[in-house]
Amino acid sequence: MTFDPATVAAFVDGELDGPTARRIEREAEADPALAAEIARHRALRGRLAAHYAPIAEEPVPERLRTLLAADGKIDTSLAARREAKRSQFAAIHWGAIAASLALGLTIGLKPWAPAADIASEQGRLIASGALAKALDSQLASNQPQNARVRIGLSFRDREGRYCRSFDSGALAGIGCRDDGRWQLERTARSEAGGAYRQASSGELAATAAAMMTADGPLDADAERAARDAGWRAPRP
Amino acid sequence: MRFEEELVELLPRLRRFARGLARDAGSADDLCQAAVERALKSQGQWQRGTKLDSWMYRITRNLWIDERRAAGRRGAHVPIDDAVVQIAGDGAAEVEAGAMRGDVDSAMARLPDEQREVVMLVLVEGYAYREAAEILGVPIGTVTSRLARGRETLMHLLGEAA
Repeated sequence: MTFDPATVAAFVDGELDGPTARRIEREAEADPALAAEIARHRALRGRLAAHYAPIAEEPVPERLRTLLAADGKIDTSLAARREAKRSQFAAIHWGAIAASLALGLTIGLKPWAPAADIASEQGRLIASGALAKALDSQLASNQPQNARVRIGLSFRDREGRYCRSFDSGALAGIGCRDDGRWQLERTARSEAGGAYRQASSGELAATAAAMMTADGPLDADAERAARDAGWRAPRP
Repeated sequence: MRFEEELVELLPRLRRFARGLARDAGSADDLCQAAVERALKSQGQWQRGTKLDSWMYRITRNLWIDERRAAGRRGAHVPIDDAVVQIAGDGAAEVEAGAMRGDVDSAMARLPDEQREVVMLVLVEGYAYREAAEILGVPIGTVTSRLARGRETLMHLLGEAA
């Protein structure tokens, strides 16, 4: 192994510049010790993420929320909306999802490679790589036959964001455009088996239907226009 | 978005961060509450356009450190390696079993404060080294060395279960 432990850790933490990261990836293909070291680091990150993720999904206790709404002037409708959304999708367990993504997808397939379609940014799961590219540019109405990521519906959610359902084979879900990124809002897992599985297209469609405004999904023209405008949501 | 609304948005993440620092859910929420109160009071010091989340994490972390130091002065400070045993009190066997099983809470509780906060910021909250260094007010080199030590301890304690 030609990389010191600090460099391997920095690689897993996404701290290396592109060329160095690519060099590590290449070397890991031929160096089982390096690959194992990377997998060990990823496993720890996954373990911690899975352990702490459910806390951020708990309803925020009243005593904390009232601090920010005590003078009566503050609009808590945002919090209320989130609360409503959360209970609506009670079956979705982010901790388990984070664990499956970190352990199943990355380690199962290629332990040394970055989880190409998913990144964690300040605790949020966001689309990256090929998935982000597809969500950015691919039109549901005009998809290549062999596209790895299939786009389902595009719609506006009740917070005014553009959201798109997708299926990439390994992962299906809904990404919403937030702050210039596709934040992964919905993916589902089987409660019965405990193993990660992709949400069925029926479940996703139902979830999308529950999230979208009364206007329904975007038609082909509206979808194209939204894409050409960079998915920037006109603020309500 | 209004200041208070942005804070409301941050609360779920802040609670998670606090849970990693404090030893139980109740004191974690106490810490969050103190942080929000401090933020509302010092709102004027936050510069619009800078990141509110980093500012809030810094406030939370500083309050926690203050509390830990105050507890230390009162003589209530528990040496880290005894902490697990101390918490155990009425269920030492259970906690020991937790540590053996590779329980994350038990493993985190064994980390020194300065390693635990770095582990939370980088490995759980996903901050870049530079951002974590800014939040903590230490050089990046300090972040990476503390992170490396914390990581090794956690990997050792969590073992194969990690």
